[in-house]
Amino acid sequence: MSKIQEVKEKVEIGKTKLVPGLVQEALDEGSSAADILQAMVDSMGVVGEKFSSGEIFVPEMLIAAKAMAKGVDVLRPLLAGDTSNSLGTCIIGTVAGDLHDIGKNLVSMMIESAGFTMVDLGVDVPAERFVEAIKENENVTLVACSGLLTTTMPALKEAVQTIKASGLDVKVIVGGAPVTPEYAAEIGADGFAPDAGSAAVKAKEMVA
Amino acid sequence: MLTVKENLKEVMTGGNPDRFVKQYEFLEMIMSVPSGRIKPQIGGEVINEWGITIRWPEGQLASFPVHDEQHVVLKDVTEWKEYVKAPSMERPAGAWDQAIADAKAVDRDNKYVAAFIAPGLFEMTHYLMGMENALMSFYEEPEAMHELIDYLTEYELDYAKALVENLHPDAILHHDDWGSQISTFLSPAMFEEFFLESYKKIYGFYKANGVELIVHHSDSYAATLVPYMIEMGIDIWQGVMTTNDIPKMIKEYGGQITFMGGVHSGVIDHPEWTKEQIDAEFDRACRESGKLYFIPGACQGLPVSSFPGVYEACDEAIEKMTKELF
Repeated sequence: MSKIQEVKEKVEIGKTKLVPGLVQEALDEGSSAADILQAMVDSMGVVGEKFSSGEIFVPEMLIAAKAMAKGVDVLRPLLAGDTSNSLGTCIIGTVAGDLHDIGKNLVSMMIESAGFTMVDLGVDVPAERFVEAIKENENVTLVACSGLLTTTMPALKEAVQTIKASGLDVKVIVGGAPVTPEYAAEIGADGFAPDAGSAAVKAKEMVA
Repeated sequence: MLTVKENLKEVMTGGNPDRFVKQYEFLEMIMSVPSGRIKPQIGGEVINEWGITIRWPEGQLASFPVHDEQHVVLKDVTEWKEYVKAPSMERPAGAWDQAIADAKAVDRDNKYVAAFIAPGLFEMTHYLMGMENALMSFYEEPEAMHELIDYLTEYELDYAKALVENLHPDAILHHDDWGSQISTFLSPAMFEEFFLESYKKIYGFYKANGVELIVHHSDSYAATLVPYMIEMGIDIWQGVMTTNDIPKMIKEYGGQITFMGGVHSGVIDHPEWTKEQIDAEFDRACRESGKLYFIPGACQGLPVSSFPGVYEACDEAIEKMTKELF
């Protein structure tokens, strides 16, 4: 088995201690940093699919993402300045009045694994803060807004509409337990995902 | 007409109930127990009995543990012995008096004297170190996690001893959320490995010491954990969300466990709540799940609602369904 294939497999099963060494070996074998990165992105795509289908659970997804992050650490010096794999910057946050961060963190991890640079605004984020963050950061292609409470659905709507009203050229994806595809469309979001695995797939589609 | 207790037993044994059980009507919660729990007021922040910072911001429906670098209690699970210290079970003289008096006042022929226990073992792991760290530690540091869970189990057993010695409860309502709305947090195999034996010990202890009814709250998806719930001695799973196929679970496990819930609090318990919406939700829930092995209720983990009037409106909606279906 080639080292790059081994990297792919070990990321998928979250071998955080093995992945950095294997990435180095793959580089030594002559694989390019970009190819190794793509292999890890592909692994996380598989992880996302398995999570969405209920085959694996949050811990498995977390350790896979951690394994990939360790691998990316090895590649980082070689990838500096190379944006060919980047899908742009994604601003993410949980909307005003809502303090839930677990789902948002999982989505952030998965979208990052798909090839975005993440800017995490945290929880309880006012609508205007999303707009400021789009202006403050370079190459923002996507904004991801999370809301877990039925009581904060109006804040989700306000966030989406404030971003859209700003006229900035970004796509907006929304998610969270009470959010439905119909509600996402109704409030003007460009996309919706029911879980972290699907969010990564949808995010890629939206900026393609 | 059957008493509240008799009617519940008919529901749980597949007999002949004469009405739907109205949510928590069979439990008389003794909330004056000196549990030692330190909780914040709305808008406040406390360091609780385990050293965990808990914050309840204005406008939120619940409090949250704080897990930033500055506040997290357990930074490295392999060092848990250094950081995790169980609260003392010592209580000042007379601390139990009010709870004992409250229990004595209960008509035990009609209702179960019930003690409230929260958070449970799984929740404690993420209260101490944050959700992401806890979930990854099940993979990365399984030995330390087993040790930590054993330690938390011993604390729960000490607390259980104090409860049965002082209060002699007939029932317990024990919280431990094991999933999100759509999935369990852990795979069933991992849940079995880390939690089944501990809960068998805890719930087994209560059952061996006069507790007739174990009610476990997990307002989540957890259908795949039901066989373990049965094995650990849970009589009623409270907080069952509709993301579980309740009629299917009743068919498969009815007689071994009773399911309580079927109506999402998030759907009905909000500032603009209406009787019509509540009636419609309970109409659906009661028709879907039927009269046996099912207790209609909102998924809220205590006999309360977030917004005034909702809990009572749920009871009224259930009474309507009794009139229609019995």
